[in-house]
Amino acid sequence: MKNFLAEAPLAPSARDVLLDAFDQGWHDPQKLTQGASKARALRQNSLESIAAGLGVHPTEIEVLGEPSLGHFLTIQGFIQPTSTIFYSSVDKKEIQAIARAWQSAVELPVDSSGQINPDALREAKADDLFALQGANAETGVVQNLGKLTERFLSQSKNGSICLDFTAVGCHQSLPATWDGAIFDSRSWRGPQGLGIVAIKNGSKWRNPLPHINSVKTPQSFSLPLLISSAVALESWTSDAERLRGLSRRLRDGIRSGISDCDIAGELEGSLPHVNSFSFLYVEGEELLRSLEKRGFLVDSGSACTAEDLQPSHVLAAMGILTHGNVRVTIHTETTEADIEELIGALVQSVEELRKQ
Amino acid sequence: MKEINCTGKRCPLPIIEASKAIKEMKGGESLVLISDDPATRIDLPAWSRMTGNDSHQIAENRYSITKKATN
Repeated sequence: MKNFLAEAPLAPSARDVLLDAFDQGWHDPQKLTQGASKARALRQNSLESIAAGLGVHPTEIEVLGEPSLGHFLTIQGFIQPTSTIFYSSVDKKEIQAIARAWQSAVELPVDSSGQINPDALREAKADDLFALQGANAETGVVQNLGKLTERFLSQSKNGSICLDFTAVGCHQSLPATWDGAIFDSRSWRGPQGLGIVAIKNGSKWRNPLPHINSVKTPQSFSLPLLISSAVALESWTSDAERLRGLSRRLRDGIRSGISDCDIAGELEGSLPHVNSFSFLYVEGEELLRSLEKRGFLVDSGSACTAEDLQPSHVLAAMGILTHGNVRVTIHTETTEADIEELIGALVQSVEELRKQ
Repeated sequence: MKEINCTGKRCPLPIIEASKAIKEMKGGESLVLISDDPATRIDLPAWSRMTGNDSHQIAENRYSITKKATN
């Protein structure tokens, strides 16, 4: 099977270290034994390594055993009683849920290319919070972080910026100004089940969870996963240009080989490895099955493949066709021949399904 | 005006049935599509953009579609 799913196996170096880490890193770092001392050292080294890889100070890193809790912790930790939350129509549902539960929130629309217009932030005022997505996991569309953060802070002098970098990983640097950011270890081929949160030193963040001591976060993460994640990040290298070249070939091949296809976002304004295609008159679930029979695994944002049978809120916000959708993630291992084969399989599958 | 009732049918069937029906019509003629699939509200404008036919929502679960004029 050729893997074009968003998920990929652990980086080989991270996999190798994981089992050893379970042997070496099982001690509770809080205790006073020699093993605990070693576990503390492993934890500190891993935190320093991850901080260096993400371009933040080690004391700004917090690690979570429940990744999706990170969105709540960062946003809720910065929110003030008078704050309005600005978020976008393409944000993750977890973020939209937090914003919609708050007393005052503004949903920012996106244009057909998936971009937020900075002028939509004109109503922002002091103490407001901007939940800003670095890039979208479904379409790969990257926001113009520099312009958006600049515009927000020109309106909201004491405002806070919380970045969702879960899809970005190391493909892009943090912007010059930020207060909180959340990452997903899987974006650099680290293990799942680990959330990485960065909270800017000196920021006004306060732990929103009930707590007695001074810890910022619950500290209930797995040390072996942290070590494995740090090793994965150390071994991660950018091959963005090669991935972008493969994405370009894929998009060109589909444009020329299949009629009536919507492609979400421009390649130059997107992550280099994420591609989203919607084929008119085709059912997404059938397309997934047809491709799997031909040996290709892809994701879909079509309603018929969603648990709640609702169309993708991201594609809907962009005005993109929501049925017949496939999301193709290109990985480091993907070759030019794989892309050619996938184009051929898509052409055949779409043609067959349209005839039915 | 011709009506196509796609109540209970999921994506992309309402769009496929509307498209088949409009092929049999002349340029400028209209039909009404009835669909309770939430994807239709999003996909019909996208279909219009891709095919050049006009469409708009006229009531809850009801859409008017007009075939593009041919030269």
